[in-house]
Amino acid sequence: MNLWERMTGSDMTRQMRDFESRAQKLPTDYQAAWETIKANLWPHSDFTGRNLMPILDGVLSLLEETAADGQSVQEVLGGDIKGFCSALVGAEGAKSYRDKWREQLNQNIARKLGK
Amino acid sequence: MSIRDLIEGKKKWRAHMARVKALPRDYQLVYKEIQKYLFKVGPVELTEGTGLLDGIVELFEEGAAMGKGVLEVTGSDVAAFCDDLIKDSRTYADVYQESVNREVANAMNKVAKKTK
Amino acid sequence: MLKGVLEGCVLEIVSREETYGYEITRRLNALGFTDVVDGTVYTILIRLEKNKLVETAKKPSDMGPPRKFFALNDAGREELRKFWEKWEFVSSKMNELKEENQ
Repeated sequence: MNLWERMTGSDMTRQMRDFESRAQKLPTDYQAAWETIKANLWPHSDFTGRNLMPILDGVLSLLEETAADGQSVQEVLGGDIKGFCSALVGAEGAKSYRDKWREQLNQNIARKLGK
Repeated sequence: MSIRDLIEGKKKWRAHMARVKALPRDYQLVYKEIQKYLFKVGPVELTEGTGLLDGIVELFEEGAAMGKGVLEVTGSDVAAFCDDLIKDSRTYADVYQESVNREVANAMNKVAKKTK
Repeated sequence: MLKGVLEGCVLEIVSREETYGYEITRRLNALGFTDVVDGTVYTILIRLEKNKLVETAKKPSDMGPPRKFFALNDAGREELRKFWEKWEFVSSKMNELKEENQ
């Protein structure tokens, strides 16, 4: 990334384009979730968009892997996408949400291993 | 600079997932849940190429080869295992919050200077 | 069991001879620490490696994939020495406390 790209943010535009082409390969309900997630995260991004990129990348990877597994998007994100997004960026309430993820992880495993 | 590119490049990512698929079913299930959890929590280490995910696969391959059950390897509290694993790593949420705080502080400084 | 103590145990075991994760767990279990699982030992070994207290080497195994072997380096031996020092201190104080009561 050169200075010009950094100043104009064109490196970020390129990355967003990358993200979008990955998102287009997702099933439709996943694509809709991706749009909602972006809409929720964007208000956070006015001056700090660059630091949002790895977070968006993490979500997209999560969507890709779970879609490939044939899970429903509801199962992956839960009902509260807004809360999910706040947790992603570590905003208020993130701690209790991370506890939820932790619980979800152990419950999913218990259920799937049938124990 | 996506997780997949940064971790290992696309080819390596595919090789990584192929190793996962070669694990016994129970190990695969647990691995995938762990991976999902880590994508959500977003430890910076995930993109630093330190082989966080490869390391887990290696641990699992060895455990499976010894005929152990997956929960015997991780313990029944898999989340605790994950958190232990990334205990020293900052998350992207941390990085993000730091940048927000910095920007807010800068903005406040500007206002403070103007009002002087 | 307390995390710091467990880390000391792992350091001590690794200091005796080059060894690998599953073997360390087996040693700890045999010693009576039955609730210690491989995953716990793994996270400790990762941390020792990150803090540059061990040297690692991959060696072929007769069972499954190549194994990662761990051996203490100088920094690791120093860390182990500090651990025992702390341990002596804590255990002597604990005994003092117990005897006070008798």
